[in-house]
Amino acid sequence: MTVLLALATAVLVVTGGVFTLLAAVGVVRLPDVYTRMHAASKAGTVGSGLMLLAAGLHSLEGAVLARAVAGVAFFLLTAPVAAHLVARAAHRAGYRPTRLTVLDEMAEARRRAERNRP
Amino acid sequence: MDAGTILSAATGLALLLMCAAFFLTAWRVVRGPTLPDRIVALDMLVATAIGFIAVVAIRTGFALYIDIAIALGLVGFLATAALARFVASRGLPGGEEEEAPPEPTRRRPGRARR
Amino acid sequence: MRRLLAPAVLALAWAAVTGSFAWPNLVLGLAVAALALFFVRGHARAGARPAAVRPGRLLSLLALFVKELALSAWRVAVLVARPRMVLRPGIFAFPLTVTSDFEIALLANLITLTPGTLSVDVSEDRRVLYVHALDCSDPAGARRGIAEGFERKIMEAFR
Repeated sequence: MTVLLALATAVLVVTGGVFTLLAAVGVVRLPDVYTRMHAASKAGTVGSGLMLLAAGLHSLEGAVLARAVAGVAFFLLTAPVAAHLVARAAHRAGYRPTRLTVLDEMAEARRRAERNRP
Repeated sequence: MDAGTILSAATGLALLLMCAAFFLTAWRVVRGPTLPDRIVALDMLVATAIGFIAVVAIRTGFALYIDIAIALGLVGFLATAALARFVASRGLPGGEEEEAPPEPTRRRPGRARR
Repeated sequence: MRRLLAPAVLALAWAAVTGSFAWPNLVLGLAVAALALFFVRGHARAGARPAAVRPGRLLSLLALFVKELALSAWRVAVLVARPRMVLRPGIFAFPLTVTSDFEIALLANLITLTPGTLSVDVSEDRRVLYVHALDCSDPAGARRGIAEGFERKIMEAFR
């Protein structure tokens, strides 16, 4: 039983580590803020969430596990909000996306609005 | 194989992976090139630090570390939100990078950007 | 009854974080939740509350979310690990069918945590959600995917 628990914890911890590393690789390799945010907000959140779940599982206490699950739920709620805030601020401030970008309907809408303004 | 060996091997491996992640992200913080890039990287650093603390909780057996990780998550979110507000209120400063480099796959480290 | 929803959820979160689901602790949590809600009373608007909650549909939405989250982390990981990344990023406009603040916020959050998409902004009139996609070669398909997936499920769960 303890071996089984240790195995489950080990799998969670290593998976979390791999996701965290890949998120960091994404933050380094992707070409602009907006694409980097994809890596940080998805893989990064999943990575640290798995780690926290592993720690909760390892403790074998209901109270600690409940706290860990609440923490993960909290991260899942806040990570997209944080990414959204930064993306919105960056786009409104005028940081341009990479040249690979094929479509930017948000900038088009803004240009249209500016043209219609007297 | 007993439980202790499995756990110490797995947590050791995870610490190694996260160390690499930490340095890669720190490189992005230093390199930039724009403020939002640095904010995203700092957010990622917080996530990695939470992972570190969780692994330390497993290694030492102190459940208290989990509370510290959750508190760090709270503070990290507030910091990111505050920095995003700063970007929104400051706008685009003259002279800061406007366009990302053309090719994403090959990036030579020492190349001038502007 | 719906007025009690927010304090109840907050009290449960309190119990989970403090690690005890005993009655005195739940009551204390309820008191703290009421106090916190009292402080933000001026900012909460009617649209911030769901019109109705269907637990079954909510569970199905939750299941879809967990599946999509796992898939999304996996896709980003695979994309990033490839030696040559194939990227066609772009921002497309998604016309919203959901109307209330609560539903828009939930949809935006769900979109951010699903494969290849990230919500950037909501238009002033709350009709359009701007979504950044890693692969924006087929914006019409992406729009259809969101409308028939999450948006429909949200409307089923909260109306």
